[in-house]
Amino acid sequence: MNAPVKSFDAVSVAVLPPVARLNLRIAPANLAVASAAFGLTLPTKIGQGVAKKGHAAWCLGPDEWLLHAPEADQAAIVADFTAARVKAPHSLTVISDREFTIAITGPRAQEFLSVACPLDLSRMAPGTAKRTLFDTAQVVLIRDADDAFRIEVWRSFFPHVSDLLDIALREFACGL
Amino acid sequence: MNPFRIKGRGRVNQDRPVRFTFDGKTFVGFEGDTVASALLANGEHLMGRGFKYHRPRGVVTAGSEEPNALIGTTRGPGRFEPNTRATMQEIYDELSTESQNKWPTLKFDVGAINDRLYMLFSAGFYYKTFMWPKSFWDKVYEPFIRRAAGLGRAPTELDPDHYASRYLHCDVLIVGSGPSGLAAALTAARSGASVVVVDEQSEMGGALLSEPSVDIDGDNAWGWLATTLDELASLPNVRLMSRTTAIGYYHQNMVGLCQKLTDHLSDVPVDAPRERLWRVRAGQVILAQGAIERPMVFDGNDRPGVMMAGAAQTFLHRFGVKVGDRPLILTSHDSAWHTAFDLADAGCKVAAIVDTRTDIPPALMHAAMARNIETLTGHTATATSGRLRVKSIRVNPVRGGAVGAARTIPCDAVLMCGGWTPSLHLFSHTKGSLDWDAKAKAYLPGHKTEAVHIAGAGRGLWGIAAVLEDGAKAGADALRDLGRKAGAATYAVTGDRTGAGITQKELPTDRSPGSAKAFVDFQNDVTAKDIRLAVREGMRSIEHVKRYTTNGMATDQGKLSNMNGLTIASDALGKDIPQVGLTTFRPPYTPTTFGALAGYHKGSHFEVTRKTPIDSWATEHDAAFEPVALWRRAWYFPKAGEDMHAAVNRECKATRQSLGMFDASTLGKIEVSGPDAVEFMNRMYTNPWTKLGVGRCRYGLLLGEDGFIRDDGVIGRMRDDLFHVTTTTGGAARVLNMMEDYLQTEWPDLQVWLTSTTEEWATIAINGPNARKLLAPLVEGQDMSDEAFPHMSVAECKVAGFSSRLFRISFTGELGYEVNVPARHGRALWEKLMEAGKPYDICPYGTETMHVLRAEKGYIIIGQDTDGTVTPEDAGIGWAIGKAKPDFVGKRSLSRPDIVAKGRKQLIGLLTDNPKDVLIEGAQIVLDPKQPKPMKMIGHVTSSYWSEALGRSIAMAVVEGGFDRMGDTLHIPTADGGSQAAKVTGCVFYDPAGDRLKVE
Amino acid sequence: MLLIHCPYCDDTLPELEFAYAGEAHIARPADPSKLSDEEWRDFLFIRSNPRGLHAERWRHINGCGRFFNALRDTVSDRFLTTYPAGHPRPDVTKLEAAE
Repeated sequence: MNAPVKSFDAVSVAVLPPVARLNLRIAPANLAVASAAFGLTLPTKIGQGVAKKGHAAWCLGPDEWLLHAPEADQAAIVADFTAARVKAPHSLTVISDREFTIAITGPRAQEFLSVACPLDLSRMAPGTAKRTLFDTAQVVLIRDADDAFRIEVWRSFFPHVSDLLDIALREFACGL
Repeated sequence: MNPFRIKGRGRVNQDRPVRFTFDGKTFVGFEGDTVASALLANGEHLMGRGFKYHRPRGVVTAGSEEPNALIGTTRGPGRFEPNTRATMQEIYDELSTESQNKWPTLKFDVGAINDRLYMLFSAGFYYKTFMWPKSFWDKVYEPFIRRAAGLGRAPTELDPDHYASRYLHCDVLIVGSGPSGLAAALTAARSGASVVVVDEQSEMGGALLSEPSVDIDGDNAWGWLATTLDELASLPNVRLMSRTTAIGYYHQNMVGLCQKLTDHLSDVPVDAPRERLWRVRAGQVILAQGAIERPMVFDGNDRPGVMMAGAAQTFLHRFGVKVGDRPLILTSHDSAWHTAFDLADAGCKVAAIVDTRTDIPPALMHAAMARNIETLTGHTATATSGRLRVKSIRVNPVRGGAVGAARTIPCDAVLMCGGWTPSLHLFSHTKGSLDWDAKAKAYLPGHKTEAVHIAGAGRGLWGIAAVLEDGAKAGADALRDLGRKAGAATYAVTGDRTGAGITQKELPTDRSPGSAKAFVDFQNDVTAKDIRLAVREGMRSIEHVKRYTTNGMATDQGKLSNMNGLTIASDALGKDIPQVGLTTFRPPYTPTTFGALAGYHKGSHFEVTRKTPIDSWATEHDAAFEPVALWRRAWYFPKAGEDMHAAVNRECKATRQSLGMFDASTLGKIEVSGPDAVEFMNRMYTNPWTKLGVGRCRYGLLLGEDGFIRDDGVIGRMRDDLFHVTTTTGGAARVLNMMEDYLQTEWPDLQVWLTSTTEEWATIAINGPNARKLLAPLVEGQDMSDEAFPHMSVAECKVAGFSSRLFRISFTGELGYEVNVPARHGRALWEKLMEAGKPYDICPYGTETMHVLRAEKGYIIIGQDTDGTVTPEDAGIGWAIGKAKPDFVGKRSLSRPDIVAKGRKQLIGLLTDNPKDVLIEGAQIVLDPKQPKPMKMIGHVTSSYWSEALGRSIAMAVVEGGFDRMGDTLHIPTADGGSQAAKVTGCVFYDPAGDRLKVE
Repeated sequence: MLLIHCPYCDDTLPELEFAYAGEAHIARPADPSKLSDEEWRDFLFIRSNPRGLHAERWRHINGCGRFFNALRDTVSDRFLTTYPAGHPRPDVTKLEAAE
């Protein structure tokens, strides 16, 4: 899905193209097996993220990781984890179609998100991610840089979140 | 142009006239005026009518505590608001305003007859007057109360405005921008802490705007104010928010703010929100909200022209408006003396200063003498005159408790001051205690429950120097509590006005107190007499007095009236004030629009509306939709000229005869994965799972630990260690939460993981005798023959080129399949199936047809045929219980005495005697419709439809001992007094042998 | 709106991310079939509902997803502490002394 970018000077909102998105559940003791399968040393602290060569991973819970990769790699990643299952039991679930990703960027991005994000985003470091609420929709919020965020939202909640971002964009643009 | 405006005086822009209307008449004010200040500048004090007695009322205050001057404002089409405070509404060109509680006109109001009938309206009048006779209630009393109750008139049009909301986090939130708030802000801001300063007024400065007599650090008050605000505004760590009211103070320093953005603008940008609700989380909160002046309670204290002395100060200094030419001061506090002096210095002829006290500071007496103002100390006020504006006041000396001879003094305004009440409403929201301070004669903040500091007049302090110092200290204290270092600045203040006063009950009078209309609560029209009556009639607690008299229960929450009411009640009770206690303040601090609280949640954005990947196709094909949980689902697909009934009959027929297609994407889906997955499934669900082969699926039933049905769905075994669980649409999140609960907290030893895949898949159900003929040519990688892919199978294969999980299952009783494909392909698959199904007249159907088809087969819907008190046996699906399993969630409860007892409600079928009668879902069932009311109800109808396949109605119901009533006739009383008869049957109405599932 | 400390995320976060989940330390019996009707009734329905300190379960449902336990004062709504599921109820006197 490629919706047009909507923006004014201070904030841009864009729907990003699809990505291979996987939910990994594994006992932390076996994490090395998963790291080897994915080709990235998976972080162990909730919130932390790593990224290399188009692969990215964020720790969302004590035994939960969100994995991103180019769509073309999805089948190979699934195969690698399937092979690793004999070494360490785990659950790898494809959720590429479960969610849409929205990018919110620009100098006022952090303030912009405060229309519906209850978190103190000044405490959120670039490179981290966490599951939270945006308005009444559960999302995964990823911070890529001081002025760059991504929201991953379940497909059916996307219209609600997207509409709200549109309303907020018009509100910010009008200056009041 | 403005007869009461002083040229060059005040902070309004006297070069920018603004025209607005009040009750249809055009008035001119200036930029910066409120409706109240502009009307006063034109000599208009009459701004409304009382709520109960419809007495003429004028403006009393200059702030948000205003009880009387409530107006309706019209800001363009649809933008009408009642009960706006004229003292807070800024004027702009084209603003249209109107007075309230009057008919036909403000100056001549028929409702004022109530003033003569005041006996009817005394304390507790609702309870007394409207008790008898009973027959009067509907026709006389209720319409009367409904017309009389409520302030203003409610808007009738949809509110076209936008409302916004934000979260905000800061180190220090300062409420109030008077001298103490600003001193706190300077201290906090200079340390680098993030600081937010809010003030409900249109400009910052608080008391400095209305008391500019001081010099601070060698600058005049307004010069210092401008410098201070410039400094704060220049700091990147400071946010100044005017027109912003802190409406509520919640746990852990969350403060709700309502910011007004456009009500003062004549040109509103299209996308601008009218108001914004801020949820602020502050490390430290500093409350610098000042104090509110109390009225004096005496007969006729509500006449237009009688107002607070402090308000007169504000109108004079901030707006450049004299509230009268011949004002009289009536006070028990030093502060009002300065009002007299300032008005005299501005050219007014001050009629007199009447003070109830006998001991007056000599400096004040000298200053009055120097201005040739008559002073009457140790005096009381006993009446006022004037119909629509005060003309004179009657005053009497009081000596040794005796009220002496009266004297009438002509005047055109009475400026009263009964002392000042620290404004601690927000502090009260935190359940912080208020302790009586005998010296300050006020309730002051005591025990704190939050990280909060109170500064300035809120602590009973008086004078600019004292509150500046206190504010600076509060700022430093807040920083210290944040672990930061700070020094509090000191301020050199000259020309300060300090003072003191006393609190008192209603003023003594030489007339009958029984006929005095000495108002305590102007907005709810409560008099001193009402409060004494309440005590006489047995009210002892101040909370009871409040509710019996409604004192303090109007929209101003008693900002002016609470302390006076308390003082009078404590006198009547013969107790000290602190023994009588206080009533509770609750959010919001001032009336707040529903819009601000709703924020973005209005119209189509009122709530999340979840849509499936096929929703867009349904929309394009004119589906009717129905809400199911947060989803909207296609309900039926009417063709031109069809009503719902016709469309559903057609959809049912098409599916039973050939082929129907249904969007089942909303079904919950959970991936249950891991080495212990089968053990987990055995423990969670009633059914046995161990022997379910890979590639097979089974109906699963989930109970609560109490043994009652919670959810159901078909569950497929994809691998030894992987189950594809489906749940009901509404139960998806609940079931996942319940599974996680058991997994995390009861069985953490199990190696199982759960992932929601509800939205990963789009699910399309294909049903009908031609289902296989449609699908088989489109499927790759799976033999679709009945032998290779029998009923209750699942396979991973390709359908129409898309990777899919294909189930052979049926919720209709027909040959059926459910195709799951990655959600992005859902619509494409749907369209391909529509195309490929043309030879079979494929018919898309919605949830209503799905309901009819399943009911014809007796398949239950969780939450419709069950209600949280239905066991598997009750529902007739005891076969789904794995009898050999040692345990599963809810198993133990199935042998509880009341679960195995006779007479439980059981799910049965009903066939009406008249096959055309379709029973109403939810209708109650009785054995004998002729029994006297209230009838004994033995159950209710849970599902009821017209069955096109059977040519008659069908229904399901839960009925006491239902299984033992097979063949009995039961009765369903109808709303018109009649009843319908129906025979008890089993629940499977159609194809009881299940032959249609096996079609070749 | 409360702030709640999630012992798994080790972060203090808005209440919106959490869901209440009833009284804590009520373990499901290992073999329910061994329980009398009265014992099973008590397990199902009987809860302490104290005025004051209450051991209760919360789930960080819009966060890390974990169930955990908390000691909360039902009068003031103040959380004394939170701790992982499965851990015993902390010694209150020690916690209060540490404040």
